[in-house]
Amino acid sequence: MTKEMTLVSVGIDVGTTTTQLVISQLTLVNVMPGSQIPKVEISHKSIMYMGNVHFTPFTDRQHVDGVALRAIIAKEYEKAGVKPEQINTGAIIITGETAKKENASEIIHSLADYAGDFVVATAGPNLESMIAGKGSGAEALSKRLHSCIANIDIGGGTTNIAYFDRGKCIGTACINVGGRLFEVDPLTHHLNYISTPGKTIIDHCYPNGSQTQSGDEVLVIRRCLRAMVECVERVIFHEPLLAQDKTLVMTNSLPEVSLDGVVFSGGVAKYIYLPGIREWWIHGDVGPLLAETFRESRLYSSFTVHEGSETIHATVLGAGAHTVNISGSTITISQHSLPLRNVPAVYPEIGASGRFSWLKAAENYNDSLYRTVALVVPALPNTDFQTILTLADTLAYELPLIKGEPKVIIALQDIAKVLGQTLQRLLPSVPLVCLDGIELALGDFVDIAKPLPHEDAVPVIVKTLVFAR
Amino acid sequence: MSLEDNVRAIVEELLKDMEKGKNQVSANSLSQTTVPILDECQITDLAEIDLQRYLQVPNPVNKALYEEMKLSTPARIGVWRSGPRPLTDTLLRFRADHAVAQDSVLGEVPEEFPAKYRMVSVQSLCQSKDEYLTRPDLGRKLDAENLEVLNKGCQKGAMVQIIVSDGLSSKAVEANIPNLLPALTQGLEGMGVKLGTTIFVRHGRVAAMDIIGETLKPEVAVILIGERPGLGTAESMSAYIGYNPRLGMVESERTVISNIHKGGTPAAEAGAHLSSLIKKILEVKASGMKLE
Repeated sequence: MTKEMTLVSVGIDVGTTTTQLVISQLTLVNVMPGSQIPKVEISHKSIMYMGNVHFTPFTDRQHVDGVALRAIIAKEYEKAGVKPEQINTGAIIITGETAKKENASEIIHSLADYAGDFVVATAGPNLESMIAGKGSGAEALSKRLHSCIANIDIGGGTTNIAYFDRGKCIGTACINVGGRLFEVDPLTHHLNYISTPGKTIIDHCYPNGSQTQSGDEVLVIRRCLRAMVECVERVIFHEPLLAQDKTLVMTNSLPEVSLDGVVFSGGVAKYIYLPGIREWWIHGDVGPLLAETFRESRLYSSFTVHEGSETIHATVLGAGAHTVNISGSTITISQHSLPLRNVPAVYPEIGASGRFSWLKAAENYNDSLYRTVALVVPALPNTDFQTILTLADTLAYELPLIKGEPKVIIALQDIAKVLGQTLQRLLPSVPLVCLDGIELALGDFVDIAKPLPHEDAVPVIVKTLVFAR
Repeated sequence: MSLEDNVRAIVEELLKDMEKGKNQVSANSLSQTTVPILDECQITDLAEIDLQRYLQVPNPVNKALYEEMKLSTPARIGVWRSGPRPLTDTLLRFRADHAVAQDSVLGEVPEEFPAKYRMVSVQSLCQSKDEYLTRPDLGRKLDAENLEVLNKGCQKGAMVQIIVSDGLSSKAVEANIPNLLPALTQGLEGMGVKLGTTIFVRHGRVAAMDIIGETLKPEVAVILIGERPGLGTAESMSAYIGYNPRLGMVESERTVISNIHKGGTPAAEAGAHLSSLIKKILEVKASGMKLE
């Protein structure tokens, strides 16, 4: 009787150093007993295909090579034996230093279109930190241990930190500390490229170009890496930042909580868990040396260090398998109104009598490029029919005044079916998408996919861009 | 000044004097005795306490985790103890909840309730709650007199016949019908479904639907009936839906949606969901296992 549904999900991570692709299969099942209204949850995630780790192609230092990148994806799809049409969902994320390249946005959007019908393009350090923490298993670990765990994802260009308190992400930070901020020639072991953040640190450690006199480049690198890791320490221990830190810390919304443990992920993490590599120049960068510096730091000695389920693949797995939510299964959707992409969440003002009004907040999007907005229904004191009628009356008045179609309404409480039916009675010809079971914060964007084959529930991707304090 | 005003003035005067006297007495010597009386008035109703937020363990080692565990289940966990026994308020609350469940089974839906929702009211062959509980077979039947009420008062051959019955919880009817019924009606009418006259069956069982179906010949019947109460909630309701309801239909022909209450599926949302489920049953022309 239980009908199993599967979704094929792709995760593509275009990072500072590497580009990876993972195709996973999400199994969805109704978790309620037969006599109750269904509730669909993701029961199992399995990896169908793990692509090779490729170097991210660049045409020059400032531009990502879009053609080469597309060729990499096409090749991987071919090897995996899937076609873009078979991909149901997923995310392509451009991370670290690569997100700063001039043509990053253009490339990632065209790739998302190529990669499948419902693959979202995302970037942004907050989201990246959170996705990495989900992919590394730090989120699951914090839930299982009922504790507060920090995931520290150390990549080529950035270190992304996310705090998970009992399975919930409570803050993130992004710091310009990575294994590829300095590049070395594998043959001569001499530095052959220093990134902008790398230069800042060298200038700080060796004022007036004094590093050239010291002669021993490895010593110079080690000293710079120590300065960088100290910056990460100051962020995590909530110590005052020094002048040189300010250029490194890009975002920081980490709350002051006591951590129960840390998980390291990202390409560099491999060498934290497996120390003692002699050929530190093996990747042509300073990743292994950076790992060693992290191992010697207070971050390693002050906390319980847990090993996650993934290191280098954390972000790509997170993007592929951990970005999808499933809505409640009693919802209202007009025909042909899905899928929808990039719908901003709009919170109402609450009037004196407790009446909501979305008009003012929605006005901000009047001249925007967004097709429509999602009106968020805050928690109602009760879900009585009368309360729903009052809410529907307000919405029926305001919806026609708000730009965009279909009209999207999203609640957390289980009300979407009755609210939707009431609105269909009041506004018979207006296309409507009324969902519940989805928690949205101010500043979130949502992507909504087509309904699942056997249930009315829809997959939803919430893109959290800002953290509520 | 009217007579009434006069009386009021006198009573007020008297009360003032009594208050004065009391104050003097308590000020002198009996102040201790008044304290317990005041305290008794301040005792909160045990049943008002939200058990899932009530932390009884003193000085828990990990309060956050304790709270999380309590919130994760309506079961009575983490209730602390007095020696090997439960605390007095734990025991009293358990008995209070048990009493609510019993009240719900034994209580009656108020006489005026069916009329308020324009239902035609009938009663099964059971004459009392005791008989209802001991004779399930009688709860499925209607006598000639009650059938006549249906024949006279109800529309025949409707697309959907809604039936409400107290079943094992009168409280479930009172708590859910005011929200469920309008949502269900709105949903069905919105889809162009013609409804029959809603019927209330006192002391009814699920299969009361069969005799009503036989008599009124609707395409689909749905019976909204109180579930056996538990210690968690006494207000849970189920909806059983049958396509072509008739005497001799088997249980597997009924589709059921259970757990309709505040902590489960809210009544209004359940009503809306039922309407689309019924619509599907009308389209497929089957219910129960045949619908799957």
